[in-house]
Amino acid sequence: MRPVTRPRRSLFFKYFITLFVAVVVPLMLGAGTEAWFAFRDNRLYLNEILQVEARSAADRIQAFTDGIRDQLGWVVQFPWTQGEDERRRIDGLRLLQQVPAIVSLSLIDPSGTERVFVSRVSMNRTGHGADMSADPAVIGARANRVWYGMVHYRRDSEPYMRIAVAGNRAAAGVVVADINLKLIWDIIAGIKIGDTGHALVVDDSGRLIAHPDISLVLRSGAGAGDINRLKSVTSEANGSAVSTTGEDGKPVVALAVRAPNVGWTVIAEQPALEAYESIRAALWRSLILIVIGIVFALVLAYWRACRMWGPIRQLEKGVERIGMGQFDHRITIQSRDELEQLALRFNEMAEELGTSQLKSERINRLKQFLAPQVAELVEHSDQRLLDAQRREVVAIFGDLRGFTAFTARAEPEAILAVLRQYYEAVGAVTSRHEATLIRFAGDGVMVLVNAPVACENPAHRGIRLAIDMQAAVQSLAGTWSAGGCAIGFGVGVAMGPATVGTLGYQGRLDYTAIGNVVNLASRLCSLADDGQILLDPTVHERVKESFALASIGERPIKGYDRALEIFAVVSMVAGPAGEPRLERPRPGLALAETA
Amino acid sequence: MLGAALACPAAALAEDSRRVYRIYWLSTQAQPDPFLDGFREGLRARGYVEGKNVVLELHYAIGNPQALREVASELRRGKVDLAVSSGPATRAMTAVEEVPVLFALSGDPVELGLVKSLGQPGGNFTGSTFLSLELAGKRVELLKEVLPNLRKLAVFSNANHPGEQSEWRATREAAQKLGIEPVYIPFSGASELESGLAKAGEAHADALLVFPDVLTMVHRAKIADFAIAHRLPSMFGWSEYCDAGGLLSYGANQRATYFWLATYADRILRGEKPAVLPVFQPTRFELVVNLRTAEQLGIDLDKSSILFRANRVIE
Repeated sequence: MRPVTRPRRSLFFKYFITLFVAVVVPLMLGAGTEAWFAFRDNRLYLNEILQVEARSAADRIQAFTDGIRDQLGWVVQFPWTQGEDERRRIDGLRLLQQVPAIVSLSLIDPSGTERVFVSRVSMNRTGHGADMSADPAVIGARANRVWYGMVHYRRDSEPYMRIAVAGNRAAAGVVVADINLKLIWDIIAGIKIGDTGHALVVDDSGRLIAHPDISLVLRSGAGAGDINRLKSVTSEANGSAVSTTGEDGKPVVALAVRAPNVGWTVIAEQPALEAYESIRAALWRSLILIVIGIVFALVLAYWRACRMWGPIRQLEKGVERIGMGQFDHRITIQSRDELEQLALRFNEMAEELGTSQLKSERINRLKQFLAPQVAELVEHSDQRLLDAQRREVVAIFGDLRGFTAFTARAEPEAILAVLRQYYEAVGAVTSRHEATLIRFAGDGVMVLVNAPVACENPAHRGIRLAIDMQAAVQSLAGTWSAGGCAIGFGVGVAMGPATVGTLGYQGRLDYTAIGNVVNLASRLCSLADDGQILLDPTVHERVKESFALASIGERPIKGYDRALEIFAVVSMVAGPAGEPRLERPRPGLALAETA
Repeated sequence: MLGAALACPAAALAEDSRRVYRIYWLSTQAQPDPFLDGFREGLRARGYVEGKNVVLELHYAIGNPQALREVASELRRGKVDLAVSSGPATRAMTAVEEVPVLFALSGDPVELGLVKSLGQPGGNFTGSTFLSLELAGKRVELLKEVLPNLRKLAVFSNANHPGEQSEWRATREAAQKLGIEPVYIPFSGASELESGLAKAGEAHADALLVFPDVLTMVHRAKIADFAIAHRLPSMFGWSEYCDAGGLLSYGANQRATYFWLATYADRILRGEKPAVLPVFQPTRFELVVNLRTAEQLGIDLDKSSILFRANRVIE
């Protein structure tokens, strides 16, 4: 059998992939969309939260500075008059009491001279003090009523700022207050964004003013680089949240808002880890969903593909088995679908094939001893033809003369060649006359007429067959004599009842005839000379009208009590035209002469 | 503000709960130690439990900073996570470089050479300064406001206290500016306290100014009683003195400062470097007035502006 290249993966793989993709692609699309929307919503929410917190911090810082400004406004409501330094001093002290962030105050009269100085730490001063008219605080306050100074770090640590406020009229003078910005810490420390987010305040030059970890502020500008970078990055984003690195080097989401009056920037930030917590959770959910989906799809696709592929494999194997001749092979598929139907059809086909093979085997066997057309006839008409039965048959025996001597001399190839030609010739004649070739035995041959297929006038047919056989073999014999050894052919024909039927062992079955008539035909064959056809009285009785027959006298026959009268064919009366004719029986006729 | 600082992450606990930290507490005073109580309170607020995850080893060398030097050298060898020195004890610690040291000083730590700057200490020292130096003049001024006729001021000072000389200088300058004659009465350690007080009694001063210091803090009741007995209006640095009978006090809240110092202790134990922890300065100063003492001394405080400025009035 030709080796079959098996595209093992193809169908299974195709089904598997198709089913898998059919489940996984929509799932991934769904999960991806959900994750994207979750991300977007979270981002918007985060932006909003940070904005609210930063705005609130900026508002509170503004309220802090505005509060101080308003409080300072109290001490510059009245114009300066002579000798009121003491009253002003008390005003100043009361203001210190009222506003904890103010560390010291300078009250400056319209001429720009400091008249009263009160402080929490340093010693107070009253009376004409330093001329402060050139102080930027005084100039600024006079120009804009309110002046905010730069943030500076006192003793390299604490952030301070000066605020100056001028009265409605120049005569009210100016108050300059020193503010300890550490107190903004209360505002900034109170802002919690999520669990760990916070707000911080940076001035225009990027210095840290307030931070929940006050020690960062007190470092007097150490790490200003990070703060400055954070400020510029968040300011560039124009009020929307940006992902960046926080002042401590960790990734954060930050948003900046300006506190306009003092020009500070409030940055609200939340560690990225926390800010994206819910996004991460959503992504994980999607991922888990996808993984479950993939596993589910794998199992489903595998199962479906197996359900499809398995029966097909079974069918393929079945075909292979049947190809190898196992017609009893059956396929069991219980898928309750077209495949099961296919399997049923397949089984039916296998059964049909088995039956027809049995039939053809039988025909082949029949053809061994029947002419092909007879064999077909037997096969297709009635099986019982071959059954054992007793009937009248014509038995024809033929036998080569001088063959034994020939085999002793000739090469084996030559012997076989002779036999082959001999068998072919005999077989062809038998087939032509629709007789039954019972067997070849060396140089002998046995042919039966009227069994198993009955025919009209079997004796006639038997004689014609014998004549044709004699003629055919005689025409061959001429070519065989080359070896210097003449080969002849004798035929015996007898008719009578015999038991016919198939006989044999296991696969080897032969159709044969048993009875006196067979023995008689054989004896007659033995008696016949080369070229002679001997008949028994029964045949003679049937065909004497049609053929020229001559008695050669009574001869004792083995197995018979008395001698039988035996006849020989002299010439054909009703033979078909063109066939070789036998003029007369010529005992001892040399093959060479007739050739 | 300090209150908020303390209240904020009170739940925070030392991360490695199995670790037991050893903290040396060094003081030149004897127990009872009010500062230690404040510090302990702060540690508890940060989630430390003494004996469980923190061990406080107390080293007291009464009036003898020299004795603490031995402790300091022991500190350099032993497995100590942190040293906290209170007041004069810091002097004995200046040579220690191996262990982080927290201090609480009245004077200026930059001047003492403990830190490079207040914002960035740069070494193994950090802590808190009470700005006594700046407040020294302010105390004289307040006293003068209560006693407009103040002419002679007895200044009672523990000479062992670091930065004490600077404080005296600032006080003297302020007194001279206000036309007051300061009488400097130094004493060295607890042993000289009695004799010092006796000297102050003999100084014929109009008022008594006591420098804030662990030693005078511990003996505040004795000093306050002495002042009342000698009819001396007294001025102190911390409110505890007033509770003990002092007339006036102006300065930062001690207990809160030590409480806050515990937060720095926590941060250092968690691995932060003292070099980058700025020295903390108090922002709020308490003016406390003891009206009972004023009555005893026959001083009418209503005449001055002191009462509306007082953060606390003891009646």
